[in-house]
Amino acid sequence: MSKWSTLLSRSFLESNARERAVGLVDEGTFTEFAGPFDRRTSPHLEVLGEAVEFDDGIVTGVGRIGKTPVFVISQEGRFIGGAVGEVGGAKMVGTIKAAIDFADRIAKDFPNAADEEKPIVAISFETGGVRLHEANAGLLAHAEVMDQFQRARGKVPVISLIGSKVGCFGGMGFVAAATDVVVMSEFGRLGLTGPEVIEQEMGKDEFDSADRALVYRTTGGRHKYVMGDCNFLVEDTVAGFRAQLSELAKLPRSEFEALRRIGSEKLVEKQLEGVALAAELQPKDARDVWVHAGNPDPVSLAMAPVPQFRETVKRLAL
Amino acid sequence: MALNTLEFEVKTPDAAVAVAKPVHFGVVGSGDLEVLMSPLASGGAVKVKVVTPVTGFDALWQRVLEAFVGSAKLRDVSIEINDNNATPAVVTLRLRQALAEAAA
Amino acid sequence: MKTQRTWDTLAADTAERMAAADKFIGKGKRVEAKDVVGLLEAVIRPGDRVNIEGNNQKQADFLAECLLKVDKSKVHDLHMVQSAVPLAAHLDLFEQGIAKKLDFAFGGPQAGRVAKFIREGKLELGAIHTYLELFGRYFLDLTPKVSLICAYEADREGNLYTGFNTEDTPVIVEATKFRQGIVIAQVNKIVDKLPRIDIPSGWIDAVVESPKPFFIEPLFTRDPALITDNQILLAMLALKGIYAEYSVSSMNHGIGFLTSAIELMLPTYGEELKLKGKCCTHMILNPHPTMIPAIEEGWVDTIHCFGGELGMEKYVAARPDVFFIGPDGTLRSNRAFAQTAGHYAVDMFIGGTLQIDPYGNSSTATANRVAGFGGAPNMGCDPKGRRHSTEAWLKCGQELPSMYEQIGQMQRGKRLVVQGVETFGEGREPAFVEELDALKLAKNAGLELPPVMIYGDDVTHIITEEGIAYLSRCGSMETRMAAIRAVAGYTEIGLKAKPEETRRLRDAKIVMTPEDLGVDRDRASRDLLAAKSMKDLVTWSGGLYEPPARFRNW
Repeated sequence: MSKWSTLLSRSFLESNARERAVGLVDEGTFTEFAGPFDRRTSPHLEVLGEAVEFDDGIVTGVGRIGKTPVFVISQEGRFIGGAVGEVGGAKMVGTIKAAIDFADRIAKDFPNAADEEKPIVAISFETGGVRLHEANAGLLAHAEVMDQFQRARGKVPVISLIGSKVGCFGGMGFVAAATDVVVMSEFGRLGLTGPEVIEQEMGKDEFDSADRALVYRTTGGRHKYVMGDCNFLVEDTVAGFRAQLSELAKLPRSEFEALRRIGSEKLVEKQLEGVALAAELQPKDARDVWVHAGNPDPVSLAMAPVPQFRETVKRLAL
Repeated sequence: MALNTLEFEVKTPDAAVAVAKPVHFGVVGSGDLEVLMSPLASGGAVKVKVVTPVTGFDALWQRVLEAFVGSAKLRDVSIEINDNNATPAVVTLRLRQALAEAAA
Repeated sequence: MKTQRTWDTLAADTAERMAAADKFIGKGKRVEAKDVVGLLEAVIRPGDRVNIEGNNQKQADFLAECLLKVDKSKVHDLHMVQSAVPLAAHLDLFEQGIAKKLDFAFGGPQAGRVAKFIREGKLELGAIHTYLELFGRYFLDLTPKVSLICAYEADREGNLYTGFNTEDTPVIVEATKFRQGIVIAQVNKIVDKLPRIDIPSGWIDAVVESPKPFFIEPLFTRDPALITDNQILLAMLALKGIYAEYSVSSMNHGIGFLTSAIELMLPTYGEELKLKGKCCTHMILNPHPTMIPAIEEGWVDTIHCFGGELGMEKYVAARPDVFFIGPDGTLRSNRAFAQTAGHYAVDMFIGGTLQIDPYGNSSTATANRVAGFGGAPNMGCDPKGRRHSTEAWLKCGQELPSMYEQIGQMQRGKRLVVQGVETFGEGREPAFVEELDALKLAKNAGLELPPVMIYGDDVTHIITEEGIAYLSRCGSMETRMAAIRAVAGYTEIGLKAKPEETRRLRDAKIVMTPEDLGVDRDRASRDLLAAKSMKDLVTWSGGLYEPPARFRNW
């Protein structure tokens, strides 16, 4: 792996799961849980004669950013598309659990600890959801992760980082949506049903999954930022994601609830307004919504450099 | 249908290079592999274990690994590989990168 | 006594056919889309030689679909003479008996059906050509009677604008029209005024506005994100061991990822080797998006293009010092001229292949696909008619120890023909084989000749991750075969290399490993690419490059 300092300037998109995990936290602070030397490969893949990986495609561990303990989960898209199976899923659950237990211990032993000394969880998603080879275990893992989110809520902020090649789709799309904060780069994609599945179900005329431009302007970071499905849009470097994570680490824990996009009656109402707007607007393309949000020239806006985009874009107000 | 596991030992006459610390390198992407390289006192031999879904390339694996171990003059090392159909060029490249990391 | 004979039977025949078609043709030679099938039935006779324009890029797809709808009792057994048959419709014509015989250059996606149809007797194969060779035969013994071509725009008189994707149109039209044949054009749009006239209306018999713009394949777009470390290693070897070694200034680059890697490494590794101004100054090349960084950094003097490339229109138009731009401000590509330059004028061809045999013959053919040649063999060969000299061409000729055996004490240069391959391709298929699949294909499809893309005597260099074999320095077949074995890695061919023999070849600089060349393998990483993504290419172009939707991740 490259030196930590050179990792920072690297593209988040081009980096692998371990490089992302190590680069997100302070230099030399990352300790891996159930890493490759533990050789916890998937027993299911082995039986099926499919290639295995020593970390089962998910890097987990803990490090620090300044004073904040950061529990990191980083999915590897190059291994079976980042699909989540039993081992990887258990690693995710165990890591969030460890963060919650740690938070409980701090609360008990150090009741006066400052917010920035309390743990956070950062999940770098790169996945299409359940690993079909071990579907039951994979699905169960999704449910268990959601369960841990409920335990963590109000106590340990869970932050999604999405800037990888595969994006975040399928069951993990739901999981990401259920976290407190979503941070994306313009190359990150977030959705429930993946582009190929939409095409398969609705036909090529409805959604052509080979049209990458269409896929990205419907599910990509810029669009999700306009829609409010993503809280922060960062540049595609490890340092870009890390800087946003550092800021969030310092944020008073009470302020995270306001960053959520789902998970309360009020937010459900807001979502329903969005549904009503869609019915009224009948958009033919994601860009129609940009125009409605107050961006008369969505094409040049989509091409503008990220900092300029963030400054000038009007986000959809519901 | 289960995975194919290959195990063999390579001994190079004038081998002198040992790795100081265990290292991990690579991702099991399509056409790629990961390798664990760790120190292992084994009387100068290098122990290799390859796990791969592909069968029928046993002799090729042995040749590629022997050539790598021989040219790097490795001794007392354990090499564990999870493979997903990497070509010999990729295998050699990843082994070199892993060794460079072990030396760093 | 001299018998009376008429000398204008061709023109008379055409006039008769056009009279039958008169009812379909309106003012400005305009034909309605719904009348095209009728028009074709009127002007095409059984057994005619017919050309449907299309190559590896643009396609007269609407006219091809219309030809498929003709009444088979009126139009059948056609002899198709055309560059390429990549559309399903091209082969459906044979399935339905509308066409019978085929002379072509490139099979593309239909390569499997071509082989199958030959085997089943549905398609009688004339020959597989190179583009230039087939163009030559348009003016010799394969002149089309009717050509169905495509252009961007026509005006009210029937003049055509073929613009950026002019490609094969001038050759087809000239051959057809000047033998009194019939030319029918599909255009995307009929306009009042064309940007410029590429084909005069006098050479066109009918124009139809097609319901959809003609199809173009962005065949030369390579996403930098997909370039691998090993391709970068091969590119480093090429730049140091060949570009720098021979000071290669003019060349054609093949279509694969190796040459894309080279293009993207000119501003990085090439700069480091101080090749700017010396190498890659003159190129015969489609508008490869991966050339953008090198062009922007001032490497390139001239690029002439076979065809266009989707999304590169604005960028190319904004660089008239480099590309061939008309007075109207847009590129005019021309396959015939680019192939001529590629054959005679460039110093080097470099590209990938699928298989190389122990003698150095190479082929991209697989056992069940008649893929054809396109233009590669015309560039991947030593042009025997070349008479001007350049540094690279002379040096390569001077190296050849067997030159004396051929022409005695006489100086002559040689084209560099470089094949870059990883020793094992996808699915661990070896690139070095005892026998090319081209031989199996010849047997399976009943071809007279195995389709060899580049013959061994033309190949001067082979690059693999093991190093470079300088075949230009081999005096005998024995040495050549040993040099090939030495870079064939762990393939069965490579395992036959004898270490002491390889040592001798390395000492003689006939084989050079990365270490011999001073190429640091550990630097072979994507960090050497001037652009790592499509977005980077757009940024390099200052927003002028507009990649097709399927290549955009924004």
